[in-house]
Amino acid sequence: MSPIDPRLQEALDAERDPGDLPVDLREAYALLAAATQVLKVMPPVSVASRVMAEIRQTPARVESDGPARRLIRWLGGGRAVTVRLRPVWTLALAAGLAAVLVLQWPSDGPTPGVAQGIASFVGHFPGARSVEVVGSFNDWSRGSLHLNDDDGNGIWHAQAVLPAGQHEYMFVVDGERWVPDPLAGRYVDDGFGAGQQNSLLIVRPVSAQP
Amino acid sequence: MSWKLVLALALVARPAPLIAQNGNGGGTTRLNGRVPAAALPAIDSILAAAAAESLPTEPLVQKALEGGAKNIPADRLVNGVRRGLLQLRQARAIVSHAVPGQLPPEGHVAAVAAALARGLSGPIVERLITVAPDEPPGPALHAAADLVAHHFDPDSAADLLVEAHNKGLRGVRLLDVAVAADHELQRPGGRTPSEALAHVRAMLPNVRPGRP
Repeated sequence: MSPIDPRLQEALDAERDPGDLPVDLREAYALLAAATQVLKVMPPVSVASRVMAEIRQTPARVESDGPARRLIRWLGGGRAVTVRLRPVWTLALAAGLAAVLVLQWPSDGPTPGVAQGIASFVGHFPGARSVEVVGSFNDWSRGSLHLNDDDGNGIWHAQAVLPAGQHEYMFVVDGERWVPDPLAGRYVDDGFGAGQQNSLLIVRPVSAQP
Repeated sequence: MSWKLVLALALVARPAPLIAQNGNGGGTTRLNGRVPAAALPAIDSILAAAAAESLPTEPLVQKALEGGAKNIPADRLVNGVRRGLLQLRQARAIVSHAVPGQLPPEGHVAAVAAALARGLSGPIVERLITVAPDEPPGPALHAAADLVAHHFDPDSAADLLVEAHNKGLRGVRLLDVAVAADHELQRPGGRTPSEALAHVRAMLPNVRPGRP
């Protein structure tokens, strides 16, 4: 924005005779003086009154839709809800929610029943894309107990709640390679004549676990 | 022809699975689609024989499922299941001999069969069952099999477990006896197996509880 010429400003402030202004400034003075007169004759209109005037000019919408459409529109529309809470009740509600979360939030691992125990499976399979456990506890079915290697260090692990007792199992690596658990400590011939061994797991009931 | 008649004809015309005839505990139904079709009739026959002899069929079903999951050829799969049946028969004979006059519980028979599969001899199994005929034999048998697998003398291992039982250890606590003996064997300085067993015997019944 370019500053206004001080001579023009003085003329507008009635401190100088407009006739003393140079010709170019005299034209600018004439325009500004005319604009001032226009503003003086316009009534002051507030923003609020202009908005209300617009609202009054908008025709009322006729509700021609059925009740179902109105209900959908009501459900989908925004609503202002005012909730008044007393601090003491707010604190009590927060304490109640915290208690429920503490009591019901699942622990880190699975929770066994009385005749069940927790079995941990760990295997070192660097570079493997998937590792799962298949055994007598899941009818030798694939896809029900996968091991995880979240940090990508090649150590795969899983925990599962299993019935107490003896279970035979094997790891299946990358969906095709059957491998006995090298950490099982107990093995038994699988009986199919090729000398392959299953790993053997004895799950202690939770009541007998130290 | 009404749809009811069509349904009735379809049910009559459909060959009934053997499971419906021999009542082998639903085993064959669980095997459909899980084992080679060529193996199903033979396995069905094995399951029927086991059921007729009041032997547990679940270990046999599991063996068939295992073979199917491992893509074992049908002939080897059937042989594996048949071997399981023979072990169950042997197990039942051992239990019956150890505890005469009682119908052997299926759980006992299955546990003994599993111990035989792990390489325990019949006499060792029978001795351990005789000590505690009314208790599930699985833990004691696995403890003995653990000791034998770690090259302890089978008879000495059985002696230790019998003594542990006499001093009040029961169930999975007997597995801790085997773990303790193995720890003694691994201890730096070198114990012989007999020394390790003697050391554990001296500490009974206070063996440290451990994980399986």
